[in-house]
Amino acid sequence: MTSQQEVQLIAAVIAAACALPGVFLVLRRMAMMSDAISHTVLFGIVVGFLLTRDLGSPLLFLGAVLTGVLTVSLVELLNQTRLVKQDAAIGLVFPVLFSIAVILISRFAGNVHLDTDAVLLGELAYAPFDRVEWQGIDLGPRALLVGSGVLLFNLGFIGLFYKELKLATFDPALAATFGFLPVLLHYSLMVIVSVTAVAAFDAVGSILVIALMIAPPATAYLLTERLGTMLWLSMLIGVASALAGYWLAWVLDVSIAGSMATMTGVLFVGAFLFAPERGLVATAHRRTRQRWAFAQQLLVVHLHNHAGSSDEAEECSPAALHGHLRWSPDFAAQVLQRAERNGIVRRDAERLWLTEQGRKLAQGTGVGG
Amino acid sequence: MMHQSHQSHQSHQLQPVPPPTLPAAVPAVAVSDLTVAYREQPVLWDIDLHVPTGVLLAIVGPNGAGKTTLMKAVLGLVKPAAGQVAIFGAPYHQQRQRVGYVPQRGSVDWDFPTSVLDVVMMGRYGALGWFRRPGRNERDLALAALQQVKLEAYAARQISQLSGGQQQRVFLARALVQDADIYLMDEPFQGVDAVTERAIIELLRELRARGKTVVVVHHDLQTVPEYFDWVTLLNVRRIAHGPVAEVFTEANLSRTYGGRTTAMPSR
Repeated sequence: MTSQQEVQLIAAVIAAACALPGVFLVLRRMAMMSDAISHTVLFGIVVGFLLTRDLGSPLLFLGAVLTGVLTVSLVELLNQTRLVKQDAAIGLVFPVLFSIAVILISRFAGNVHLDTDAVLLGELAYAPFDRVEWQGIDLGPRALLVGSGVLLFNLGFIGLFYKELKLATFDPALAATFGFLPVLLHYSLMVIVSVTAVAAFDAVGSILVIALMIAPPATAYLLTERLGTMLWLSMLIGVASALAGYWLAWVLDVSIAGSMATMTGVLFVGAFLFAPERGLVATAHRRTRQRWAFAQQLLVVHLHNHAGSSDEAEECSPAALHGHLRWSPDFAAQVLQRAERNGIVRRDAERLWLTEQGRKLAQGTGVGG
Repeated sequence: MMHQSHQSHQSHQLQPVPPPTLPAAVPAVAVSDLTVAYREQPVLWDIDLHVPTGVLLAIVGPNGAGKTTLMKAVLGLVKPAAGQVAIFGAPYHQQRQRVGYVPQRGSVDWDFPTSVLDVVMMGRYGALGWFRRPGRNERDLALAALQQVKLEAYAARQISQLSGGQQQRVFLARALVQDADIYLMDEPFQGVDAVTERAIIELLRELRARGKTVVVVHHDLQTVPEYFDWVTLLNVRRIAHGPVAEVFTEANLSRTYGGRTTAMPSR
């Protein structure tokens, strides 16, 4: 495999791994928690490094995961005092932990490979050069192995606890009455988010971790009405963003992580505008259709109410219509045209008549007498 | 001694109605000396309640009286500062399957990506326990429950497309599939139209006719004598508790609402 292909594969695997816990973050309205966790894990990594002086120690990983859980606990603790709202609590906790980590790096670990640029943007282009060997056999890039491990772990966790996670996310109170321990599930999910964030940010940086966790699920949310579909669609969108971003970066010769994050945004905007049911275009189209349908209803009810009355000739003349309904002449003409085309109104010389279908419509609205 | 229900015109009552059990039998719900506090501020003060099997009980009281908290304490969702709750003589955690809970409609996100049928099937999750996935059996039960609340045509709909009354009926169907012995419902009549209200009360009477015990947090004092046969008047303390005919009195209501009732129905 060329290193180009490897970079793409790493990005795709990490994108899929990030999308899975991201779905639950989005549905639990905790999207900003991914922002916090993906930054504060640095604190755990630094503390782990200062304790072991070894960048390869598993203690770094453990420290990072614990910091993720610590972040969530601190935010919830602050929130529970009712003196600080949740969003403000996130804004308070994560800069503190992150900046302590930055200070620790610059003071005690300035000479090792733990620089803050890499934390934010990652070094995806160099990821293929950090390889794992076992008894002289090349097993592949470390980022790919770690990413695949996390992806399998996430798939396994969500597969195993799908029913429980769904209920605890939709209705935590019912989950609790069934004995499903929603608080435990909540923290397990936060562990998953932390593990994923740590594994991913080494390769792609924290900005891309946030983008990959939130944007694909938010996009999938617009495209489907089922949780199961949302999960695999999120992975698909994440992978598509990663690959499209890679090629965008190659063509424009810019940052890989940057253009991948951009592509997650581009796909979201695409869905936001063009989603078949909920997109802006579909909504606007539906509104227009409803407006015309409503105007035609108004017209038939008007004709129906005045049929047989003394002012029938006047009220039901096409020329006077706009005056009676307070429509602009243009609009009245267009409504009339549509009504005729739909076969609910018939016109002869100076009169408008309801067809049988039009009469039914007028009676069906419940407004007509 | 035994209380006869007020309404006799329901066809469901053609089936023999199990007579409300005498307090001497094991009560469906027994709350003793229950105090719940949020930061040393009591929300419920030393509550004692025995709910006999097979009654339709309304819990009424002003806002902040602790009605929802009482329900959550029975379900083990809030920790009491003192006292205990027994369901058919045993702690709640041993009786989970026998209690069906209908939370307030507004307590969940109705934009959640799931279908009506799926939400109803969630009622079976407790019986399934950890790891086991719902299958054909759960699906059939859910469809039958949807039929009972006349929403079978909506089974495949996304839940956000439902009206308030339909959402409430979905919640009821979800509780029905649990096939519990006791149903706890938090304001099922909140914000539903008259048709849904009739449908719900018929369902509650049907449950009672099948010997179930139904406890409902209720807001509309006017309908208490018509809909319920037992009532609990609550305002942090237990003001009164018993058959509607005995305890739903002007004097008790004015003690519950601090003399501010204008809603006392003429009887």
